Amino acid sequence: MNARAVTTDVLLGMVPIALLIGLWQAIASFGYAPVALLPPPGAVFMRLAQQLATTAFQQEIGATLFRLFAGFSIAVILGVGIGLAAAASSAVNAVVRPLVRVLAPLPKVALYPALLLLLGFGHESKIILVAADALFPILLSTYYGASTVEQKLIWSAMAAGTPRRQILFKVVLPAAVPSILTGCRIGLVISCIVVFLAEMIASTDGLGHLLVAAARTFQAVDMFVPLITISLLGLVLNGLLQAVRSYLLRGFPEV
Amino acid sequence: MIEIDHVSQVFRTSGRQEHLALSDISLTIEDGAFVSILGPSGCGKSTLLYIVGGFVNPTGGVAKVKGRPITGPGPDRGPVFQEFALFPWKSVLGNVMYGPRQQGVKRGDAEAQSRALIEMVGLKGFEHFYPKELSGGMKQRVALARTLAYHPAVLLMDEPFGALDAHTRTRLQNDLLNIWERDRKTVLFVTHSVEEAVFLSDKIVVMTRSPGRIKQIVDIGLPRPRRRAELLLDPRYQKYVVDIEGMIDDTSEDELHP
Amino acid sequence: MMSMRTLVTRSGPLLACLGLLGIWQIAALILNTDSFPTAMDAIRAIPSILGDKESLINILASLRRMAIGFSLAVMLSIPLGLTMGRSRGVASFFNPLLMVIYPVPKAALMPIIMLWLGVGDVSKTLVIFLGVSLPVIYHSIQGAKAVEEKMLWSGAAMGLSAAQRMIRIVLPAALPEILTGCRTGLVLALITMITSEMIARQSGAGNILFNALDMGQYDTVYAMIIIIGAMGIGLDAAFEKLRAQLVNWSEPRFDLPLSFS
Repeated sequence: MNARAVTTDVLLGMVPIALLIGLWQAIASFGYAPVALLPPPGAVFMRLAQQLATTAFQQEIGATLFRLFAGFSIAVILGVGIGLAAAASSAVNAVVRPLVRVLAPLPKVALYPALLLLLGFGHESKIILVAADALFPILLSTYYGASTVEQKLIWSAMAAGTPRRQILFKVVLPAAVPSILTGCRIGLVISCIVVFLAEMIASTDGLGHLLVAAARTFQAVDMFVPLITISLLGLVLNGLLQAVRSYLLRGFPEV
Repeated sequence: MIEIDHVSQVFRTSGRQEHLALSDISLTIEDGAFVSILGPSGCGKSTLLYIVGGFVNPTGGVAKVKGRPITGPGPDRGPVFQEFALFPWKSVLGNVMYGPRQQGVKRGDAEAQSRALIEMVGLKGFEHFYPKELSGGMKQRVALARTLAYHPAVLLMDEPFGALDAHTRTRLQNDLLNIWERDRKTVLFVTHSVEEAVFLSDKIVVMTRSPGRIKQIVDIGLPRPRRRAELLLDPRYQKYVVDIEGMIDDTSEDELHP
Repeated sequence: MMSMRTLVTRSGPLLACLGLLGIWQIAALILNTDSFPTAMDAIRAIPSILGDKESLINILASLRRMAIGFSLAVMLSIPLGLTMGRSRGVASFFNPLLMVIYPVPKAALMPIIMLWLGVGDVSKTLVIFLGVSLPVIYHSIQGAKAVEEKMLWSGAAMGLSAAQRMIRIVLPAALPEILTGCRTGLVLALITMITSEMIARQSGAGNILFNALDMGQYDTVYAMIIIIGAMGIGLDAAFEKLRAQLVNWSEPRFDLPLSFS
């Protein structure tokens, strides 16, 4: 039952991709765009296959993935931790709430120059930016999930002998997992986007950097390759997260 | 064993208004009695149950169990809720094992005890199912097993069969009585169904509409064990139902003729 | 006369700002490096930025692009979304296209769009337009779908045509959801604008930021961050007020994942 759900998700995910490629091929074939601006999908995928075989390209992917995972993990740990704390303690809530209201609408990318100044052009600045952007959806959905746990679940656990201090980890956290995973999904998408953009703006390596480097030399094919790569990576990671989600939420009714 | 002493409950609604839910309730419930709390919607009967359960602290008066005031929930008073409140992240077995594990029972023993209970409520074979895969009646059986697993002296049941269809309801009423006969725990059973209350209980506490007061306490002198088929045709049962329905009607009349 | 509680709640965000600035100030003093000026230094640099004609033109250009991109997106997306929400045919037609565009980071399309359309306003506005459209379409669809059939039947019984029903029933009923989408869109517009300006450096607030970075004017860098931050907070607060006015009849909804509402 589990394998089938995953396969269905994967197949469903394929449909929009197939359509895009079809559209792309159509535009290229019908000559609506010059080859220098919009190379046909065949050329791009061939180049992608070529690149994937080279260690240089693999290293670039590695750099991007590393930053992505590091940033996302920090966001998850902080987001879930703070979200739970804010739901459990009104004191924490009173401090966190106004901070979130101030920081959430702030475009974190505006902090990027400061991060570059302080941490250089390497991994750290990007990791922190990714973490900052992915943090808020995760924090908010954790808070939401934790603060809307069904009261009777908590009462049932207390009557069964669970001391007050254990309720957070034994009842609130498991009950909030669906909401947390929704936030993580959004956070993951944001992480993919932000790491790529950060590498485009200022970096010496990574997929985003490859795109701007190709842009400077007007190599259209080489511009599309990293873009396709990050999109594929995003899809794969999302698929993995969905699989984890299906497993963890196997007991929960479908939302 | 359970003493409710001049308990009243005031709720503050969002508009800073006060709502008197319960007014001066005094009641004693003996060990081993099956007592129903019966009344129209909004009469505070669930609130009274929650006060005995320790989930809500009364704004006036005090509730005691075994002579000691109730300050919070505990495994001596086990709840069964209308919404089932099963832990969705745990299987049937996991849910039932929860209480014993909390009490420090070793995993192997807890599992064995739980399996026995699951069989007793008629769900053998469903141990590894998750709540979402069960019907309403089955979920309530699991909820009952889960509560029984930590051996509470008192069962607090809040309209437990209210969310079920009529057929499942009667089945579960029978099953509940069979299970109860085994060790005769004290049961406090909230319902708005007169027939259900008369069928199940030794004593019925009839409450008025909000603010809830005790209108009358009726002793049900029907012999046990009670068989539904016999009882439905028994004129004593029928008289109880008619009389008590009359009491409730009186209560509701106040709404139309203040 | 405000109660103590309301006073504390209302001043929360302000206190948070002051707190953050305070921490910044202390951290900068401790670190004591050129690349991390204190909060006070940064704040002192703000008037010179706002007073400088060049910078002001840049900032206004940013806001103008954002406004155009946002307005165009909203004007096109709301009708599209509402129609998609009520008509299966229209939905099936556009759905695949949208599903495909959704995961692509719009600002990342900048170099490609620049290749096609040059480095000017058009490419940046286009990217903002794309970024804002998607959340607005999505929320318009959700809002339209949620409108109760019975309301529409009543409308039809009263003699309203399909178009009238759309404008006079579906639109107002879906408005809360639509405005949620607009709020997301606004946040994305600001982010996309800044990011696209950082990638395609030619004019705009993002451009000022990176110019200052290149020229070692660190105070200016941090001052711009504060200005952009203020823009974000200001726009969000203004939008919230507008939204509250327009839909004060609706039940409060949880804004995931934007902020505590």
